[in-house]
Amino acid sequence: MPQLVTVRVERPAGRPVRLWVPVLPIALVLLPVLVLAAGLALVAAVVYRVNVLTALAGGWRVFSALRGTQIDVAHGRTAVLVAIR
Amino acid sequence: MNEQRKDILDLLAEGKITAVEAEQLIAALERGQPTAAPGAEPRPKAKAKYLRVQVDAVEGGEQARVNVRVPLQLLRAGVKLAALIPPQALSQATVELNKSGVPFDLTQLKPEQLEELIEHLDEVTVEVDQPDAKVRVFCE
Repeated sequence: MPQLVTVRVERPAGRPVRLWVPVLPIALVLLPVLVLAAGLALVAAVVYRVNVLTALAGGWRVFSALRGTQIDVAHGRTAVLVAIR
Repeated sequence: MNEQRKDILDLLAEGKITAVEAEQLIAALERGQPTAAPGAEPRPKAKAKYLRVQVDAVEGGEQARVNVRVPLQLLRAGVKLAALIPPQALSQATVELNKSGVPFDLTQLKPEQLEELIEHLDEVTVEVDQPDAKVRVFCE
């Protein structure tokens, strides 16, 4: 399961911005939104006749597998790096 | 710590290279070093864990770089999730693809085939070399 999301933004003007986002505390803060989203996903699964448990397991598998993802885009002196650890 | 590794870390500390570039250089250094004693049996190749896409290009006179690392586990999980897409949605997507000039039937694509494809991805390396752009897709 991902623990930390690191974001680094470099711009031609100004100092680079670095953000370390801990996943678990943020997830706890956003819990009401997540519950709402899960409810909507549940309704969608019923409407489209998709097995709810399989869908939830699949979603969780995708979320868990995010660890190790890294996206680094740079153009000239502008750069954005997102790393999930 | 060997001398070359120290040089890379010095470059990083001086801000001449980014952390990602330092990581790539150290990885390249490790790949170049002998891993087994002479005469010893070669170790089996480690299973690839990540799919890496690297693009280096010149756009509008400026250097552009894209470096994406995706865990293969994420692709496997995505394939399993994609298997839940209702057939009617796949048919609709196929129709839209055909309309856009992409004659590809998504309904014929089975999850097992995709899983097999991912299993063998670590043997694939794609390199596109153009005067103003270089693309490299490989597993590591």
